[in-house]
Amino acid sequence: MAHWRAVQPVVTARGLTHDYGPVVALRDVEVEIPPGVTGLVGANGAGKTTFFRILLGLIHPTAGEVTVLGADVGREAGRVRGMVGYMPEGECLPDDQTAADFVAYAAELAGIPPGEAKRRSSETLFLVGLEEERFRYLGDFSTGMRQRVKLAQAIVHDPALVLLDEPASGLDPDGRDQMLDLIGRLGSFGISVIVSSHVLTDIERTCDWVVMLDAGALVRSGPLEAGGDLRTVTVEVLDNADTVADALRRRGFDVTLVGHRFVVTGDDGATEAAIVEEVARADAGLLRMVRGASSLEEEFLARAERR
Amino acid sequence: MTDDVIYDRGYRRYDGPRLGVSGARRAVIRDGIRRVLGLRRKARRKILPWSLLAIAAASAVVFVGLHFASSQIGIEDTSLLPRYGELFDFFSWVGILFIALAAPTLLIPDRTQGVLAVYFSRPLTVGAYLQGKLAAFLGVTSLIYLLPQLALHIGLAFLSDDGFLPYLGSNLDVLWKVPLVTAGYLALHGSLVTAVSAVVGRTGVAAAIFLGILTAGGSIASRIGLLDVPFARWVTLLALDQHPRIVRDRVFDITTADYPAVQAGFGMWTSVAVIAVVAVVGTWWVYRRYRKLA
Repeated sequence: MAHWRAVQPVVTARGLTHDYGPVVALRDVEVEIPPGVTGLVGANGAGKTTFFRILLGLIHPTAGEVTVLGADVGREAGRVRGMVGYMPEGECLPDDQTAADFVAYAAELAGIPPGEAKRRSSETLFLVGLEEERFRYLGDFSTGMRQRVKLAQAIVHDPALVLLDEPASGLDPDGRDQMLDLIGRLGSFGISVIVSSHVLTDIERTCDWVVMLDAGALVRSGPLEAGGDLRTVTVEVLDNADTVADALRRRGFDVTLVGHRFVVTGDDGATEAAIVEEVARADAGLLRMVRGASSLEEEFLARAERR
Repeated sequence: MTDDVIYDRGYRRYDGPRLGVSGARRAVIRDGIRRVLGLRRKARRKILPWSLLAIAAASAVVFVGLHFASSQIGIEDTSLLPRYGELFDFFSWVGILFIALAAPTLLIPDRTQGVLAVYFSRPLTVGAYLQGKLAAFLGVTSLIYLLPQLALHIGLAFLSDDGFLPYLGSNLDVLWKVPLVTAGYLALHGSLVTAVSAVVGRTGVAAAIFLGILTAGGSIASRIGLLDVPFARWVTLLALDQHPRIVRDRVFDITTADYPAVQAGFGMWTSVAVIAVVAVVGTWWVYRRYRKLA
């Protein structure tokens, strides 16, 4: 089977809507995701998992259409699943199988002949750093090792696109670093990746494109480096954020408040001076003040609040 | 300094054949057979299935031994000795225990350990997954019914005064009777335990519920059937375990027990219908359940 190695979008969604009865999980999403490593960000319930399930053809959208690697998911779900790898967020490993057997089985389920599946299983487990442990039973694996096996099963059949659902979930800092490095390497192998995470620093580190969802709606789809907005100042205080925000509004600033953080629109130095003054007056305790949406998290919070 | 070089094996592309749904189905069959028999699993997973298989095989050896002993002490009328039909009764509880082990082992861990999320992200469909599981189930469980019968058949052929080949030639009916009766047992017991396994989260509990339905359910249905109440006659049909036996008795033309349904006036075809209904409803139930899970 020819691989999808073109430069056209790996995912195209047009008017994508899905509801679970009265609950709308995705609302008229229009998005094109280019090849490369893409971050899918959003709070819990934003629609990330529903989006993945639609891409895999496991559920059908209520309205709209979606193509993955040029194939219409609604009509060619089996073909799409043969070209896509998926790493679920939750537990998905059988305790009583060895890593080598399980990954080989995962390859066979994708249609790879048994002998080749066995070879690719060994190679893929080597790639994710489990060559020594591949004949151990999965029930004896640590969380970090299990995450690596989950990644191995997602790529063992040489997919053109991999969907990773919270791949660094439950990992300690070292394990998280290693997992993010592995995800970064996938792009260099010519595999496109869509990685969902609520840890936005992980997305910033690994992705070159970001898709933001909030309450089922598309907030943003674009390259990561273009996210900064130098007309805003993001402020985090210890306490009394609402008092400071109200005071700044009375002084004519546009303020978006999210918890202990607020984003103030103002593109000259007077903005920072006013913020410092009001924070001191309210005894709010200034923790951080940064011009521009310096991190994806702040940008996400600000955009979500504006909606 | 040495001349050794460390290679990063990196990632190898795959441009070979992809076998699609049929390849995935075959993979499910292979994995299912291995799982039930405990192959490529820890040693303790092998103990129960292989012990049951050994007991079933031993029952055939006992039967052959009886025939051998009777020939040695000069018993002329061997028609009184148990043969193929009776052998089903001899190891029936072994077979039921094996089925109670096999179906939950095939279905429940995939669900409770979340592995279905991986399986159904592949080209594998729900139908292909269940077909693969069914094929694995039938492949392994038919072993426990057919192997002892095969051993008995070969043993009796060796002991036959007519000679090995003439015995086989004059008992060709065994070749359809044994598989037919086996199909009856597997259809009823298999669909029942599979339906239970589709909703219960622990293999031991599923096995216990299945055995409970067969024993307690059968006993209660039999007792109610004796009462002088409306529809009591029909209640006797709920003693499910009797139906494959009724079919077996008719096929081999033997009488091994007074079954409640027979006492209530039902014949073999009623039992065939009950087996068919249980099999169809059980299959529909399992498919419906997994359609929701996928």
